[in-house]
Amino acid sequence: MLAAAGCVQQNNPQGWAGPVPTLDGTVLVASTDKGELSALKTDDFSRVWTFPSGDEKPELKLEAIYGTPVIRGGNVYFGAYDSKVYALSLAEGAPVWDQPFDTDGPIVAGFAASETTLYAASEDGKIYALSLADGAPVWERPFDAGAAVWGAPLLAGDRLYVASVNGKLFALDAGSGEPQWDEPFSTGHGLISDPVLSDGTLLIGGIDRRLHAVDADSGEGRWSFKTDNWFWGRPLVNDGTVYAPNLDGRLYALRLKDGGAVWDAPFEAEEPLRSAPVLAGDILVIVDRGGNVYGLDPAEGSLNWSAAAALEKTVLADPVVLDGKVVVSAEGGDLYTVDPAAGSFVKVVPE
Amino acid sequence: MSQPGAAATTPRPSLGTTLMIGTLLLIVGSFVALGPGVAWDTMFINPLINSLLLLTNAVGGQFGIAIILFTVILRVATIPFTLRQLQSTRAMQEMQPRMQEIQKKYKDPKRRQEETLKLYKETGINPLGCFMPMAIQMLVFFALYRALAFVVGGSPESLVGLSQRVYPWSYLTQSIPLEQSFLWLELGRPDKTYVLPLMVGLSTYVQTRLSSTPATTPQQQQQQQMMTWMMPLVLVWITLALPSGVGVYWVISNVFSVFASYWVYGRRMSWRSLLPMATATEAQRPRPKPQPDVQGEAEGPTPSGPLEARSAHGKRRGKRKKRR
Repeated sequence: MLAAAGCVQQNNPQGWAGPVPTLDGTVLVASTDKGELSALKTDDFSRVWTFPSGDEKPELKLEAIYGTPVIRGGNVYFGAYDSKVYALSLAEGAPVWDQPFDTDGPIVAGFAASETTLYAASEDGKIYALSLADGAPVWERPFDAGAAVWGAPLLAGDRLYVASVNGKLFALDAGSGEPQWDEPFSTGHGLISDPVLSDGTLLIGGIDRRLHAVDADSGEGRWSFKTDNWFWGRPLVNDGTVYAPNLDGRLYALRLKDGGAVWDAPFEAEEPLRSAPVLAGDILVIVDRGGNVYGLDPAEGSLNWSAAAALEKTVLADPVVLDGKVVVSAEGGDLYTVDPAAGSFVKVVPE
Repeated sequence: MSQPGAAATTPRPSLGTTLMIGTLLLIVGSFVALGPGVAWDTMFINPLINSLLLLTNAVGGQFGIAIILFTVILRVATIPFTLRQLQSTRAMQEMQPRMQEIQKKYKDPKRRQEETLKLYKETGINPLGCFMPMAIQMLVFFALYRALAFVVGGSPESLVGLSQRVYPWSYLTQSIPLEQSFLWLELGRPDKTYVLPLMVGLSTYVQTRLSSTPATTPQQQQQQQMMTWMMPLVLVWITLALPSGVGVYWVISNVFSVFASYWVYGRRMSWRSLLPMATATEAQRPRPKPQPDVQGEAEGPTPSGPLEARSAHGKRRGKRKKRR
């Protein structure tokens, strides 16, 4: 019995926050360890600061960071698995607000932000609108989605789109938090991917193994595409084509207008795809859970490299394109840059 | 269990033994044919995971209730193994005095082995009778803990792992992610109130104390004492770091084991033995008068046969009760 107990996987949250560069591309903010966020100079990937630094009193333990941080006006905003929303100065990594904003559940989703307001979602099922300046609530009360929110809210104009694991997708007024559709778009299963908006169509994936296309104005479903597993990765839309990663290890290319298949067959990776695809020049780059990086021809879905680049680390975070290279964050905080033309990679953090 | 008089004939394996051997052969065969990883997942982990999801939906999404139901169903399904293991353990423990006598009496290892085998044959005890049910139960326990770890979650990463194991039946995924709140617990996270770890420790202590038979030597007593205290303490420590769902399983499973022990040991199971000071050993009690060694190889006490040994054992227990 003791031996059995010893073998129980403890499932400690590790986090999968993707890296994010500043607008000028000189600084990259990334999770460099479990529950740790760092600012790195992009020329040599040296650290500018790390949060928490270990000097905080009382000592801070963020547990893990899942959502990709948001950079606005010289500050960086992110949520952690310790249920708090943090605001740090980009220059020094020092807290900007008097204290972090507390929610009632771990934060898995990324954030959305306007010029003045941060939209944060938590596993407590609430959507919070907070002032970027001081973290004070903007709405009269937070919006209750009824269940945990894992996908980052999407801000488009004056509307905020939020999906929850009870299978509902809401359109809210960004200023007041009031629902904008008569009824939320609803499926029987959890909606878990970050929603994406393109050409008036919202795309969102779920545990029902479907990618749903929803009319952004009315909340009516347009089409859905069924596969063998869950859609958790954020889809990418380019030139009328939706590239949707699935946990069945396949990348699907679908027509935005009707959900029809673009490629003869989906691209098959070795392991499940949780990370979002990115376009680096004319190469479509995807990374599977096993850390295999693939450079694809977006038109055909064929591998452009002689073989996948094997990082041999677990990768669940969304990669980002920086200065023509793809930056991939692996579990444990290791960062790699991948050359999309050659398919070669370099480990940059830690060197 | 065969009678001593039937020692000359080869005992035929019982239906239970045949089933156990068959099960083990099937498991080993599958592991060889499919490979250990695939066989383990296909035969144990994935069916358990999907059963848990099915039960959760069946009880209206209450994952805590599903874990309790699941534990009860699993323990009922494996009750033949549990009972057989308890019975074999009891028989082995009752045979201990005679085993020790053989150890003392025969210095030659070969002869000692022969006599031991003879004793097994005489008493009709199969030493594997303890091992096989335990091995099968251990397999189930390992699988269950792994399955719970996947289903309970505790982190978004574990859900990515879960997605690879859920059967393609939409009914199963309706309640994912599972409702984590149950009573005062968050099933995917360790219990910070320490109530559940304490319940695990207490139930393990009760279960261990009630199912242990009187020790025959000071050594055995020492081992038992260590197990009685160490097991609960280690389990408390482990539960502090495990998802609470696993702890819930543990408590229910221990309660079930207490009932199973009572079923096997019946009135011989003394609730008084729950008290920490109740640790009398058989060695401290009156022993049968030593008989001369018919082989002349060594001196020492030798009960004349298994039934006598058992009845002497029973008498001693009776005397102890009278003294009390």
